[in-house]
Amino acid sequence: MAGAIIENMSTMKLCIVGGILFVFQIVAFLVGGLIAPDPTSVLHSTATKCIDVQKNHHKTKWFMPWGPNQCEKISSFDEALKRQIEANDIVFAVHIPFISKEMSPWFQFMLSIMQLDIAFKSNNFIQDNATVTLDVTMAYRNDLNGKWIELAHSLEQRKLKCKLPTPKTQVTEGQYYECDLIPLMELGSVAHKYYLVNIRLPVNERKKINIGIGEIKDLKLTTIFQNGGFTKVWFAMKTFLTPSILIIMVWYWRRITMMTRSPILLEKIIFALGISMTFINIPVEWFSIGFNWTWMLLFGDIRQGIFYAMLLSFWIVFCGEHMMDQSERNHFSRYWKQVGPIAFGSCCLFIFDMCERGVQLKNPFYSIWATDVGTELAMAFIIVAGICACLYFGFLCFMVFQVFRNISGKRSKLPAMSKTRRLHYEGLIFRFKFFMLITLACAALSVIFFITSQVNEGPWTWDETTVQVNSAFFTGIYGMWNLYVFALMFLYAPSHKNYGDDQSNGDLRVNSAEELQLTTTITHADGPTEVFRLAGKEAQE
Amino acid sequence: MSPEYFLSSLLMIILAAFSAHASNWLYLAKLSSVGSISEEETCEKLKGLIQRQVQMCKRNLEVMDSVRQGAQLAIEECQHQFRNRRWNCSTLDTLPVFGKVVTQGTREAAFVYAVSSAGVAFAVTRACSSGELEKCGCDRTVQGVSPEGFQWSGCSDNIAYGVAFSQSFVDVRERSKGASSSRALMNLHNNEAGRKAILNNMHVECKCHGVSGSCEVKTCWKAMPPFRKVGNVLKEKFDGATEVEQRKIGSAKVLMPKNSQFKPHTDEDLVYLDSSPDFCDHDLKNGVLGTTGRQCNKTSKAIDGCELMCCGRGFLTEEVEIMERCSCKFHWCCFVKCKQCHRMVEMHTCR
Repeated sequence: MAGAIIENMSTMKLCIVGGILFVFQIVAFLVGGLIAPDPTSVLHSTATKCIDVQKNHHKTKWFMPWGPNQCEKISSFDEALKRQIEANDIVFAVHIPFISKEMSPWFQFMLSIMQLDIAFKSNNFIQDNATVTLDVTMAYRNDLNGKWIELAHSLEQRKLKCKLPTPKTQVTEGQYYECDLIPLMELGSVAHKYYLVNIRLPVNERKKINIGIGEIKDLKLTTIFQNGGFTKVWFAMKTFLTPSILIIMVWYWRRITMMTRSPILLEKIIFALGISMTFINIPVEWFSIGFNWTWMLLFGDIRQGIFYAMLLSFWIVFCGEHMMDQSERNHFSRYWKQVGPIAFGSCCLFIFDMCERGVQLKNPFYSIWATDVGTELAMAFIIVAGICACLYFGFLCFMVFQVFRNISGKRSKLPAMSKTRRLHYEGLIFRFKFFMLITLACAALSVIFFITSQVNEGPWTWDETTVQVNSAFFTGIYGMWNLYVFALMFLYAPSHKNYGDDQSNGDLRVNSAEELQLTTTITHADGPTEVFRLAGKEAQE
Repeated sequence: MSPEYFLSSLLMIILAAFSAHASNWLYLAKLSSVGSISEEETCEKLKGLIQRQVQMCKRNLEVMDSVRQGAQLAIEECQHQFRNRRWNCSTLDTLPVFGKVVTQGTREAAFVYAVSSAGVAFAVTRACSSGELEKCGCDRTVQGVSPEGFQWSGCSDNIAYGVAFSQSFVDVRERSKGASSSRALMNLHNNEAGRKAILNNMHVECKCHGVSGSCEVKTCWKAMPPFRKVGNVLKEKFDGATEVEQRKIGSAKVLMPKNSQFKPHTDEDLVYLDSSPDFCDHDLKNGVLGTTGRQCNKTSKAIDGCELMCCGRGFLTEEVEIMERCSCKFHWCCFVKCKQCHRMVEMHTCR
């Protein structure tokens, strides 16, 4: 890739472009911080304890915690003990959302976490490796007086990881265990207005089901969903960004096809990066408002995965193509060593995601972490992906180091070179350094925001203005990578001065010099390599 | 103490119509036999409430059951925390709920006020999570009262509503007095300390749900501690409570530590004005039951030890056969099958 726009641009113009991009970056942050609410909301529900008065356990019967047709409730299990109600007759009922509210497709996804309040009793405590078996059903309706329609029904097992906050000798009866959160379900779309969850904890002494799980006092459900306001802002941003990236992509590819030579690897991979960015940007989520597409969550994961894989490959190729060590690359297969780990790692994560979110399309209560085999499998996938990531970053750091070593080597020889060669290398060095600078800046910003969002709690307030920091980070980072791809395609597109001068300026020397630059990194099946061409040029002079 | 005894004693207290006492609303704890508070007329009949509280009751009918549960919770917790002390948070046959100990500005009064305001905040917050109260979190602090507000930015935490309700319901008596007397200031401070015991002990829980469940996207929330934890915190504050007196700083009256050597108390600390009696002897006039007949621990050197508990009067030791449940089979709810075991134990009771 010779004579990119960035080399031929004056410093002033570069500053102006930089300034414009910076303004857009600020806007991206402000949109998230000032307009959007927090990205997600949490609903805390304590399950109502209903009694299944019908002895035959009708499958179709739904237990409503309140409203008309509400179930027969008990306030505590002490009451049940007195009335001789058995554990198998207890149904925990949770209605999502709260009274007089309704869910909406704008919430995009919904996931629930279960927590059990278990009291310590010296003669009835949680045994080691206890698992709790849940008979859980979920139903929906769109009309307050309508019939409940079953959405999912499953018999699930979850591990009970609890510990006492104080040593066993000091605890008093009735003290609650501190238990880990138990993931219960994940829905990829919120297409209905009202949801109802009914949970039973069936006891079977013979099969040792739900034995040795302590004395349960309460069941709590925490439901997380994306805020409608955030979804709207997010969609708006995507809808705005899609055409922007699309236009620059078309422009970029036209420039490349206008040239006489075929596109080189670096140009192709920048274009591929643009395509994967557009793939993320295209706001297909709009359809989730009208259609009940539960696979949207999985699809979003895949789209992001493709973009990350492409970005990582791009960094490797970019470094490789700026190596300046006279060896021929320009072919993707030359990078198999570095790209291999990316591909393998991505595949691992994809399989893992299919095992978790893929299966959740069928059974929203499924969790790969619930069983021992599943946990080991999941951990294996994640560890392999982690090793791949380490390998990749090792390679990348080594390549960057090599490039810098070559740069300093070339630097010392620059004054001795011919003008053409010097220009060529200066161009390469400038292009690489500029790229390193913005890439590092973007990566550093992403990392900083990631860490901040991990430790941040709630919005920040400056005199009456509330800034939703978490939303600002999301829109800001998303906008930033879009601008990054935009800037790459714009600045690293072949300069029109190449062919523009071609036509207007008939000077053979300039022409051949440009031609030389153009071909520096192009592989010719049997043509002279760059070194020979350059040497020949010098001999001519 | 049996619940019947407890309830009847509470009833007595109410009948005694002790009107000048700000914690009389705790009488609500007694109402469990009456059924739920679902009509405005019921509010008028509730004894122990002052006029402003009756108005609040009428306006917030759906929350009143939780207020009652909060009162019960508070009294239970108080009795648990003080089970080994000379004053065991017992309620009396005579007027005020906890005897004169609480009418005077003692440490014990400080604890009772704190635990009861915390109890209301806790119970109301918990009731919110049942999902059937319309007034909770969703409508209070989040922009917009409408369903659109919920769709735009969801609900705020219920604890904010619980605490706000506790503030307006429990503090109303002292506020109506204009918060000038030192006792009113003490009560207000301790009420707030009780609520702070919940707020400052919330623990953060997080769930990651980014790509493949990674922590790229993480949602965190604050969860209420179990009420036992709140009770433990308040008990610690009780042990380290500060004796204060009213001073004038400028035009404002504030409570300052009596001993100027001590560092000033914080919002979370309990404060008291009067020193407590020793609770040794039966003194009905002051509502002290005394420790005669209380069980004590022979080997302990602490307050539950026979030495201290019996105030040096000595103790009786007898061998008793107790029936215990043993080798039990439990289900997680409502089912226990046990054998009965007999065991001989030494029991010590104060003279």
